[in-house]
Amino acid sequence: MNTLWENIFRKPKKEDDIRTVLKENPLFRDLSVRELKFLEDIVHVRRYHAGEAVFRQGEVGVGMYMIVTGRVEIFISTPDVVDEAFREIYITQLTGSDFFGELSLVEENSRRTASAVAREETVLVGFFRPDLTEILERSPNAGIKIVFRLAEVLGRRLKETTDKVSELRKSLKEMREPPPVSDAN
Amino acid sequence: MPTRKLEEQLRREWWLKLTAVLGVMIVAIVLVFWIDNLLMSFVLAFVTNYLLAPIVSRLEGAGVPRGLAITIPFLGAGVLVGIGVSLILPAIIAQTELLEGQIPQYQTELMALMQRTELRLQTLLGPNAVHLSQRANEWIFLKTTELSATLPSAISGSLTVLVLTPFLAYFMLQDGRRITRGILSMVPNSLFELAINLHHQINDQMGGFIRARFIEAAIVGLVVWAGLAIIGFPFALVLAIFAAVTNLIPYIGPIIGAVPAVIIALVSTEGQVYEPMSVNLFVITSVYFVAQLIDVVFIIPFVVAKIVNLHPVTVLLVIIIGAQFMGILGMVISIPIASAAKLTITALYNHLLDFRA
Repeated sequence: MNTLWENIFRKPKKEDDIRTVLKENPLFRDLSVRELKFLEDIVHVRRYHAGEAVFRQGEVGVGMYMIVTGRVEIFISTPDVVDEAFREIYITQLTGSDFFGELSLVEENSRRTASAVAREETVLVGFFRPDLTEILERSPNAGIKIVFRLAEVLGRRLKETTDKVSELRKSLKEMREPPPVSDAN
Repeated sequence: MPTRKLEEQLRREWWLKLTAVLGVMIVAIVLVFWIDNLLMSFVLAFVTNYLLAPIVSRLEGAGVPRGLAITIPFLGAGVLVGIGVSLILPAIIAQTELLEGQIPQYQTELMALMQRTELRLQTLLGPNAVHLSQRANEWIFLKTTELSATLPSAISGSLTVLVLTPFLAYFMLQDGRRITRGILSMVPNSLFELAINLHHQINDQMGGFIRARFIEAAIVGLVVWAGLAIIGFPFALVLAIFAAVTNLIPYIGPIIGAVPAVIIALVSTEGQVYEPMSVNLFVITSVYFVAQLIDVVFIIPFVVAKIVNLHPVTVLLVIIIGAQFMGILGMVISIPIASAAKLTITALYNHLLDFRA
């Protein structure tokens, strides 16, 4: 499992409409019905064809996307790899109710660390930094609830990543120092 | 990797959407420039929108419904403007009428001053060296005739602007975000994040720019009014309003703002039109100089931090173009329009460099 991209909060989706997607998203979990309606008027609905890029690695990111319908594949490009077949490393596949790119909501001029491409006809809901600023100005209570949940999501992603790094370090150490051979015989 | 067919389809959609967005924007711009008084009303409505938007957001943040949050500052501004107009308008009318009555006298005095200067110059440089008064007389006659000819249409135009501006400003505050979202929804996917970020940046900077310029003009106007009132100079209010408005024009605005007062001071001392006035050129220039000093030392560094700097040559060109189309008003509103254009182009350029880096 890739901790940075997998939706660790994935839940089964009941309806494929925008309000449900927003309601199910951990970022907006604490919002009241009225606040959700307000949010619905702020977010942006975008439609993508199969094979169309949502964003590309290295571009400036402004916010996050939530999947309403369809499928999005996340992969990393490594242009320095000689063999063309191995230049794109598949990371994960995201479907209904999943979300990605939320790090850009807090980081000014952050670069996308991976590319996201729609794998079928896909409908996404975009929530961007200017939208978050607008909510914080116009409805500070709702804004604070979102920021608090966003911090939680980012903290959890960080924790998962740290665990993964520790695991990898441990494996690397084990590979470098093979366990001592017993002289029982 | 996208197939060739998909690439073609995406490219076609990209151009279609981009053409639609640009088409809507171009049609809107053409309409605004084409229909009489609409440009002026739009610029003023934009200014009102940017001045009231922070108050509306704050009220909405405090739990007031948006409709009411817009109505409250509008009513407040209306009441303030009403009180201000009822208090100041009689003074402005009286001063303008008095000034109007004095203009022929000032004209004569100015001509006399010019003739004396001309004579002095002719004794110094030779009899055929300068023919200032002849040309100036023709010019002044032309301008005053023009003014009296355009005054009725200017007044009716002002009334249209006066009615249209609050209506447009209310509409911008109420539905501006919805319209922007509508336009943004037409932007192609590959440009969407860039567009939303760019819109946010421009909106933010324009708001800061307009609020800063408004506060700056108001402070300069107040200082000029106080200064002129203290020294007992006539038409203090009218001259202060003129100075505040022309202060919106960078570099040469403050000079234009001081010209009427300097002329009045010049002809008054020469011809003793106002006998109790012992004002002279030095005192008047000092008032305007102090106002500019306060502006440069205190206001600009603290208030006008986000100001868009235009090159002096650009300012001059823009002002000439503005004056050509709309006279003094054109000179004033051409600067915010040029600043907005510069801001948009700069942001777009930097963004394109940065976005795809």
